[in-house]
Amino acid sequence: MLALGALAWLTALGSFPGASAVAGETEFRVIVDPDNSTTSAPRELLAEAFLKTSTRWPDGELIRPVDQRPESTARKGFSQSVLKRSVGAIRSYWQQRIFSGRDVPPPELDSDDAIVRYVSEHRGAVGYVSASTRSGRTKVVTVK
Amino acid sequence: MCCAGAFLFALAPTAHAEDASSPVEVHGFVSQGFIKTTENNYLADSKRGSFEFAEVGVNFTKSFTDQLRVGLQLFTRDLGPIGNYTPQLDWFYLDYRFWDWLGIRAGRTKLPFGLYNETNDIDSARVPILLPQSVYPITSRDYLLAQTGAELYGRVPLEGAGSLEYRAYGGTIYLDTTASASTIARLTVPYVVGGRLIWQTPLEGLQVGGSVQAIRLDLDYQPPAALVTKLQMDGSLPADFRGPLKIEAPVLLTVGSVEYQTGDLLLAAEYSRWRAKLESPIQVLVADTDTVSERGYLMTSYRTAPWLSPGLYYSVFFKDVDHRSGRDAYQHDVAATLRFDLTDHWLLKLEGHYMHGTGALASAQNDNQPTKTLAADWGLLLLKTTAYF
Repeated sequence: MLALGALAWLTALGSFPGASAVAGETEFRVIVDPDNSTTSAPRELLAEAFLKTSTRWPDGELIRPVDQRPESTARKGFSQSVLKRSVGAIRSYWQQRIFSGRDVPPPELDSDDAIVRYVSEHRGAVGYVSASTRSGRTKVVTVK
Repeated sequence: MCCAGAFLFALAPTAHAEDASSPVEVHGFVSQGFIKTTENNYLADSKRGSFEFAEVGVNFTKSFTDQLRVGLQLFTRDLGPIGNYTPQLDWFYLDYRFWDWLGIRAGRTKLPFGLYNETNDIDSARVPILLPQSVYPITSRDYLLAQTGAELYGRVPLEGAGSLEYRAYGGTIYLDTTASASTIARLTVPYVVGGRLIWQTPLEGLQVGGSVQAIRLDLDYQPPAALVTKLQMDGSLPADFRGPLKIEAPVLLTVGSVEYQTGDLLLAAEYSRWRAKLESPIQVLVADTDTVSERGYLMTSYRTAPWLSPGLYYSVFFKDVDHRSGRDAYQHDVAATLRFDLTDHWLLKLEGHYMHGTGALASAQNDNQPTKTLAADWGLLLLKTTAYF
């Protein structure tokens, strides 16, 4: 029980400075489509968006999450910092959803550039890229 | 009902036409296992070792709008005497999500009972090969996995207090009785109704829930002719009785669940009671019964590396809470698993069980010996590999 409490406490210590997030040595930035009125997003909303338990932005627009490949460092950082689970645990979550007929996962794209392109071209889209990636027409949002 | 549906459609956010061009998502899996026991046959001819432990599934999902989705899964399996690779439509549905807090599904949908019933046959979604069999008996898959009817679902945020996820359903279950005992002429399910409520607590990763399911089985039982004649001769059965005997079996299943997931750690525990009645119009042929069984487990797993996840659980099952003594009254099960993720789409699992008791065994698979005479302490070894996409 003590170990469980300590784990929960350590989990709660995650922080999200500025426009980028840091998980160990992995940095990433969360981007949304240029027409999205959001300038900052609660971590919980992003987690729910990528797990597809919340499907609408506060203005009612459909959320269109897009993931990186499981091996990408940005995905590892995003998964640990925002979803609070490892990439492997999230893949298990989607296996459950897929084969029980509940839902299908967000599309997975190969590179930061592909994510930027997708997010800039789809209304309501949200993705994450390495901190050093040019965000192009997309808008970088702060994770609260 | 029609007007209520139209009203809800009118209120719901407008669908986006661009989703009509979304691709059909295709996913599938192929599993092959091996099962071996030190004593007693379990699930298959396991004493000599059996490869009759295989599953194949493929599913298709298509979104027509951002709210309307359809899907279906084809499935076949072999598990000892069960399945024999007979293909079946595992699930199919039409799903319309009005809002995050209200959606409706119609079709054949998996039953949300406990934490893992819907994923009982999805090897890639968990660490153990066999989920704790006290709560998720793999041999009862046909009765417990899916229903044909409708379901309401949704998730309600509780400002600052987490969220509530609910599921409520009603329908029936179509059973294939061709492989049933010859004395059961017909087996139908007039109804199955139930629901699940899960509270996702403010402590991220911790969820607590409860499920209830009521189901009634109607059986047409044809008693052996010799028994009928004997009872008619001594006057305890009407002379014009020809059968079959119509028996009703209402069953009520309940389970309480708690799960905590953080990082690579999973902790889960569930406690369940199943009340099964048998109601017969002629007591000399089949006597009424009312039995409550008790089930529960504690489980943990931890991903130590992207390619390795060990797991451990203890599961216990009492057939009848009023009769807990005797080896055939219970089944204690301690299981340890190693899951190796060889690639992103291929895994291998090795699992060992120490079993105490014979409550989960079937006489029919053990030369019709009474389960109270089978070995009380036995071991089970499982090996399984699954490819999925």
